[in-house]
Amino acid sequence: MSTSSNITTTQETSELNSPDLHLLERPPQVLNKRNPLWVTDAVCSIVEGKTPLWWYAAIAFTGTFAAIGGACILYMICTGVGVWGSNSPCFWAWDITNFIFWVSMAHAGSLISALLFLTRQKWSLSISRAAEAMTVFAIVCAGVYPAIHIGRVWFVWFLFPVPNSYGMWPNFSSPLLWDVFAVTSYLTVSSLFWFAGMIPDLAVLRDRATTKVRKFAYGIVSLGWLGTARQWRHYEMMYVLLAGLTSVLVVTVTTIVASDCATSVVPGWHATIFPFYFMVGAVYSGSAAVLTLLLPLRLIYPQLRDLITPSQLDKVCKLLLLMGSCVGYVYVFELFNAWYSANPFERGAFWERFTGSSAWYAITCLSINLTVPQLFWFKAVRRCLPLVFVLAILCNVGMWFERFMIVTSTLTHDFLPSSWKDFHPTIVDILTATGTLGIFFTLFLLFIRFVPIMSMNELKATLPGAQPHGDAINSNYSAEEVH
Amino acid sequence: MSHHLPKTQGSSGYHGHHLPVAGSKEEPLYAIGARFETPEALVQAVDHLRDQGVSLYECFTPYPVHGLAESMRLPKSVLSLLVLGGGISAVLIALSMELIPSCLIYPLVVDGKPLNLSALPQYIPIIVALTIMIGAVTAVVGMILLGGMPRWNNPMFAWDLFAKDASRGFFLAVEARDRKFSASALTELLHELGAGDITAIHEEASEGK
Repeated sequence: MSTSSNITTTQETSELNSPDLHLLERPPQVLNKRNPLWVTDAVCSIVEGKTPLWWYAAIAFTGTFAAIGGACILYMICTGVGVWGSNSPCFWAWDITNFIFWVSMAHAGSLISALLFLTRQKWSLSISRAAEAMTVFAIVCAGVYPAIHIGRVWFVWFLFPVPNSYGMWPNFSSPLLWDVFAVTSYLTVSSLFWFAGMIPDLAVLRDRATTKVRKFAYGIVSLGWLGTARQWRHYEMMYVLLAGLTSVLVVTVTTIVASDCATSVVPGWHATIFPFYFMVGAVYSGSAAVLTLLLPLRLIYPQLRDLITPSQLDKVCKLLLLMGSCVGYVYVFELFNAWYSANPFERGAFWERFTGSSAWYAITCLSINLTVPQLFWFKAVRRCLPLVFVLAILCNVGMWFERFMIVTSTLTHDFLPSSWKDFHPTIVDILTATGTLGIFFTLFLLFIRFVPIMSMNELKATLPGAQPHGDAINSNYSAEEVH
Repeated sequence: MSHHLPKTQGSSGYHGHHLPVAGSKEEPLYAIGARFETPEALVQAVDHLRDQGVSLYECFTPYPVHGLAESMRLPKSVLSLLVLGGGISAVLIALSMELIPSCLIYPLVVDGKPLNLSALPQYIPIIVALTIMIGAVTAVVGMILLGGMPRWNNPMFAWDLFAKDASRGFFLAVEARDRKFSASALTELLHELGAGDITAIHEEASEGK
């Protein structure tokens, strides 16, 4: 009896592919009426197939940049921070610019997987694993800078409250120390979230492994997962808890990073809007990065086109539009606030930002971030995927310039005009920055090749007919079961 | 054959049904396994087993199935309590980590601001970060340990159909240790409930035997 009623539900749901028929129904999670076995094969085939030639070429390319970046870091450690273009008064330059850029990019990954999970936005399921991976790799890149920018890397343990014979302790009231804890816990929590979410899928790879080496390796990392009802019970509870913790953590981390700037009295930084400013900028650049990574993946692996659907990409574009508009609002508000404060230093800082030596990158930043996301109002733009790809890259470029503008244009023009000095990056600065790009893409290529890039178990659980009590797409499985 | 299986009850029964055998026949019978095509069938089978008083059984699904845990009468996961405990201890750890150096060992006065609990706001960001970190570690480690992991060997792996690709169906295994275990009655019941691939799973011969 229940089986027959379920078959009807399955057919009804699959007929909803045409959006005109049932406007209020949700679009299908997986297109073309695929079954669970197809999902397993589609995702596993990426890992199990022969390594494609483009992958070797790509990893050689990105690996070279990563290696050059590593060499530059080594050179900097052996020689001193003088090899960078940082100067007085611009003590923070590309190091902190890139740190903020990367740590912000990480945020969208956590947000997409955690916050959208908590709010039952099922459309994000197929992109959340890749977004989480992006988060972890972006934090790795971000983590490179705080450690090396202190100059004498061997004193990095001073950052942590390690009992020592000098009787010396860090200053717990400094946002810079909050930063240490925020970034450390962010890396830990997002890695755990990513790994724990993968355990059931790694077990699938273990079961399907054909060689002894693969069986052993996937066997070890999947920890002996069997998918028993007891395991799922604890697993679902863990997932909800981690999603909740991560959502809070994302807001905390951005707020603390923003406080690094906002708690100083430097004009251009000393603003209460900074945490919000960093938060929306973070989700904006992160959504753009998700699109930049997923669109080529969809092109290379055609089977993913049924899993990463145009409707899901459309929603990411809308998220980009929303966050981009918030970023635009903050830009305008900042200018208004500088004028309205009647503070000559505040006004001077912004006047100098757009007319002085920093004008070229400040104007680049504003012109990209104020216009590009607004193009996503148009459905034709959101549906034209090559254009979306180009615009997403432009958004990331715009966001990099924003971080550069916030950090350098403020520091190079502080209260005393006599101490003003422009910043010019050296070749070591540039190669270290491209090195982090290399690290990021190398890690992402390894991710594509060795672990399932989508959460197979979550996708299968939302397929029509996957649950005993009818249409799975419109139900909230974990919310009901954990209570 | 039954003299090889002294510890299991009724284990000779299944031979009458010509069940496929997984693992080594010389070893004790571990369980009777079955595969269902749909989650409904599995939940229905669990309801029947529960009614008959069978308690030592386990279900294996490729994704969490609604209502299965309720049918199995599984209690709510205690993980949330563990994480609450982890979070509370993290607050205490963070507070003492910050207050002991700042107030007792090395008071570092900046801008003449107080250092004790009256300056609580400045200690909060690190408390939040540590609470979340320790909470998350507790959640993941707790999930792994409560789920009986890490455990890299399992008698179920002797069953090729299950070990090669457990995502191909909804599996059920009733352990031979169960008080109500009767292989022949169970096989018949599983047949009636529409189970396929009913298999007698023996433990695998250990190395050196």
